[in-house]
Amino acid sequence: MKKRGKGIACIFYGTGYGNGFPDVSRAYAELQPDGKVAIYTGATEVGQGAKTALSQIPAEVLGLSVDDIIFINEDTSITPDAGTAAATRQTYNTGNAIKMAAEELRNELIKIAVKELELNSDIGLKMKDGKIFLEIYPDKCITFSQIAAMQEEPLRKFAVFTAQTVQIDPETGQGAPYWPYTFSACAVEVEVDTETGKVEVIRGAHAQDVGRAVNPTLIEGQMDGGFAMAMGYVIYEDLGLENGKIWNNKLSSYIIPTSMDMPEIQNIIVEDPENTAPYGAKGIGEPVMISVGPAILNAIYDAVGVRMTEIPVTPAKLLKAIREKEQKEA
Amino acid sequence: MELKKVIKAEKLDEVLNLLAENRERAKVIAGGTDFVIQLREKKIAPEVIIDISDVDELNFIRKSGEFIEIGAATKFTTIKNSGIISDAFKGLKDAAGHVGSPQIRNLGTVGGNICNGSPAADTVPALLALGAVAVVKSKNNTREVPLEEFYLDRGKVKLEPDEILYAVKFLNSKPGQGLGFVKLGLRNALAISSISIAVFVETDNDINCKDVRIGSGALAKFPIREKEVEAFLKGKTLHEDVIEEATEFFGKILEQRLAGRPPVEKDYKPYAIKGVFKEALNKALSVVC
Repeated sequence: MKKRGKGIACIFYGTGYGNGFPDVSRAYAELQPDGKVAIYTGATEVGQGAKTALSQIPAEVLGLSVDDIIFINEDTSITPDAGTAAATRQTYNTGNAIKMAAEELRNELIKIAVKELELNSDIGLKMKDGKIFLEIYPDKCITFSQIAAMQEEPLRKFAVFTAQTVQIDPETGQGAPYWPYTFSACAVEVEVDTETGKVEVIRGAHAQDVGRAVNPTLIEGQMDGGFAMAMGYVIYEDLGLENGKIWNNKLSSYIIPTSMDMPEIQNIIVEDPENTAPYGAKGIGEPVMISVGPAILNAIYDAVGVRMTEIPVTPAKLLKAIREKEQKEA
Repeated sequence: MELKKVIKAEKLDEVLNLLAENRERAKVIAGGTDFVIQLREKKIAPEVIIDISDVDELNFIRKSGEFIEIGAATKFTTIKNSGIISDAFKGLKDAAGHVGSPQIRNLGTVGGNICNGSPAADTVPALLALGAVAVVKSKNNTREVPLEEFYLDRGKVKLEPDEILYAVKFLNSKPGQGLGFVKLGLRNALAISSISIAVFVETDNDINCKDVRIGSGALAKFPIREKEVEAFLKGKTLHEDVIEEATEFFGKILEQRLAGRPPVEKDYKPYAIKGVFKEALNKALSVVC
């Protein structure tokens, strides 16, 4: 018999290294001869979209399009250390460092513009598409490339961002070990075949607090990916560990969900800007996975009344649990 | 043996001559979806590989008298979409549609599925339930073997070194007959069967079971007919309680058969079979026309 059930779960998650550990990102912003701006930072792109999101932030600061940001990373001989692409920290930490470096560059460019345009002050100066101009009299204008041509050495600004966390008291466990926190919630509906133990996730809704959505499409991609990874973790991926031997040592037996297993998911992006974050944006890499698992387990419980406490919930394990429950009730 | 030659054959005669000439030194490749993996893992090491994937004489689905014949090099996708296989035998098309992924179904062939001798071959339970016969050819001979007698062991079929599986054939559907197929895999695509069951039934208007054949996959060393369950059902009226009894009986048989197998099999399959078998039988009854 096929039985359906619904489950929900919600989580909060501390991003970054945390617990007082120095969590540092560094970046350079450098004006190029053609008026574009290069960002040098040691952030690693692992498919999460760091290059895109971390280009959007300086583009916003400098009034440039993303195409005018030259993003240079993953080359340790020319980029400053920005920590690992881990702990859901790149958008927040390195985003902050880049934003600060870009702001320094912006301030320097304004200062030069005031001087070159022979203005009284920087009031009413706008920066857009590689030009700095007086809003009330746009003919008073200088371009980034004109400024670049005046420099003997490239105009280059550096910034460091260190996240603020506090080591917890080892005795009481009290303190502020992480900042910022992020929140997410998930609801799923499953269908359990009580005769085979097979669980099918038939639909899901997934809400993620992102602070500010730097790139909503990338966030949705992360949310879909997190959902799929959690499904694999909770109902598919079984190492088959027996006396230290891994039986499922290849991807034909260690199975992960395919697109044919994924349900339709409604992704809900919640924007609640974080005031220490670049434009309010928090990291979401890990948290998008966390609430999905317990939601599935709750839905299984709702469907068949069996509380599974070990993952993955393979058909064999679930069928055994269902049969034990039936025998107990009989 | 070191691989010396790969020959792309165009004609069946050419294939049979090459096999007669090279015998054990040669292996036949069709879709290659299993073959290439075995080659890479050095489980096979032929001196000569004969590629039959473009031999038209091995690629067909046709009516021949009372029979439907399927050429050994016919791809799963072709079977899945065949208009020649009747709706009553849709179970065979379903089985072909359950193989791996679209890419594998576009390459893999029914002959490869049979000759590879995997216990979990998806199309074989359906062919067994249809009572299919394997047509085997060599340079100077053609012979027919019931498919259920074609298997020797896991990965081994009764083919002499100079022989090739030419086709499989089975009687075309008649009124009152239906075939249902269900595969239980761990996911919905690219899954190796945990259990697969095909049920062929022939009933009269009062759902009396005149004939029944059950093919199973992943429940023994190779796909087999489940004759005890067949005998249990034959002649009975297929009411819900009879079907329920049959599924219990099937479970008991598997408890015995799989007693020595690892927990993931012996503690699961005898129970999971019930849902799978019931669904396959009901599917068969639903397509009876």
